[in-house]
Amino acid sequence: MKNVFAIALGILAAIGGFVDIGDIVFNTAAGATFGYELLWAVVIGVGGIITYAEMCGRVAAVSERAVFDAVRERLGFQVGLVALVAAQFVNLLTIAAEVGGVALVLQLLSGLPYRALLVLALLALALVLWLMPFSWIERVFGYIGLALLVFAVAAIKLHPDWAQVARGFVPKAETDNLAVYGYYVVGLIGAAMIPYEVYFYSSGAVEEGWRPKDLGVNRANAIVGYTLGGVLSFALMISAGALLLPQGISPEHLGSVALVAEVPLGQIGLILALVGMLFAISGAAIDSVFAGAYNLGQFFGWEWGKYRHNAGAPRFTITWAVMLVLGFLIVMTGVDPILVTELSVVFSVVALPLTYLPILLVANDRAYMGRYGNGVVGNVFGVFYLAVLVVVALAAIPLLIASNMGQG
Amino acid sequence: MSEIDLGLGILDHQLVDSAGHHCGKVDDLELEGVRDGTPRVAAILTGSSAWRGRGLLGRLAAAIARGRTVRIPWEEVKEVHAEVELRRTAHELRLAREEHARRVVERIPGASL
Repeated sequence: MKNVFAIALGILAAIGGFVDIGDIVFNTAAGATFGYELLWAVVIGVGGIITYAEMCGRVAAVSERAVFDAVRERLGFQVGLVALVAAQFVNLLTIAAEVGGVALVLQLLSGLPYRALLVLALLALALVLWLMPFSWIERVFGYIGLALLVFAVAAIKLHPDWAQVARGFVPKAETDNLAVYGYYVVGLIGAAMIPYEVYFYSSGAVEEGWRPKDLGVNRANAIVGYTLGGVLSFALMISAGALLLPQGISPEHLGSVALVAEVPLGQIGLILALVGMLFAISGAAIDSVFAGAYNLGQFFGWEWGKYRHNAGAPRFTITWAVMLVLGFLIVMTGVDPILVTELSVVFSVVALPLTYLPILLVANDRAYMGRYGNGVVGNVFGVFYLAVLVVVALAAIPLLIASNMGQG
Repeated sequence: MSEIDLGLGILDHQLVDSAGHHCGKVDDLELEGVRDGTPRVAAILTGSSAWRGRGLLGRLAAAIARGRTVRIPWEEVKEVHAEVELRRTAHELRLAREEHARRVVERIPGASL
């Protein structure tokens, strides 16, 4: 019974932790531009994160290696270093986007100047990172982030044409603006599979000392948690498609995202949407900051992890502090956080194959995995997604340019 | 000791000292007896200047990091599994590179949280 309870709590945290600024931006923008037509791309993205999160969690539980331990052992120093630099570049952009997103939501809540709120966001995040135990961080932000479920209620209240919604789950490209359509496909898959989630997830599994007996929890977290997290993405796209597309509103501001909940549900909808976004994006900021420090610590063999107290893993601590400040400085220049978000998602797609290949190799290595190696299902999905990622990675930058970042 | 592939089984693996602390990676290996046909690992090399043996990017990274190399004689290795376990502490093996960073972090209130 205690176990079931723990699994349920883990799943709840995974749902709340799934959505970040990238999901919010791309799902509402795709809904506002193409209605429900791109729901299938979210399904592909969610399938990808489930496949690789489960694999990374299993590798962590059985072989006690986190992602960048495996990257370096399997790819060697040189290719591993390239993967590390790419991952850290993407992480930095993601951190900047999330910190900017936190300030944007705070601005919608308070009306205070954006730059002052950036400073407030930096201080609040630093305090949480410095003081809060690992298990608390994961839970608190995941649970309160569940307020985003208000978008599921909003989607239903907006009475979308459900037959048309259903058709959106079938892949097709009936549009005269293929570049923009393709750009959103890349964005939706990238936002769902954003790499920091997997770095964080696998490192967290090692920190919490997962063993093969925890593989059930791993599978439940990955499959149920991320599927339900994907439902939040559907809800965002469907409600944006039902409300913003007919009005011709393009969601360049997070305010129009909140509007999607406010119109059908009033004040309470607005508040739940903003609180949910605040905690989901803050949680993502924290996870991505840690992810950057995990990667560096694992690649260079430092002490890493929050379970060793701050001074117990000093280089890890200094790394997350530096990455948080660098991310803050990027958005402090005044660059639009929504623009940074889109770039972080597109570049993450480019960096993903280098992360996932070594994980797939290790998950198939019996010397590491014993009888817990990949089965046929794991490999079919693993290889399929690696192929998808390579194609999407090759198309990402040309589509970014051809579509003028989705502006057409 | 059972047979292991040096490239995949030891190189780039995590070093752990006798107190259970992470203390770097196996950045390179020193082999001996290659010429007389009975090669064996004489020592593990760790530290940023050991990256020089790891290709062009390794040389570049070593030049930027400008650190030192610590040589750990193979006799100091207790066991090789996912991690390479050492018989002594990082401090005794002159691997304790986190001390400087630790003193910086310790100055901030709440460092032991």
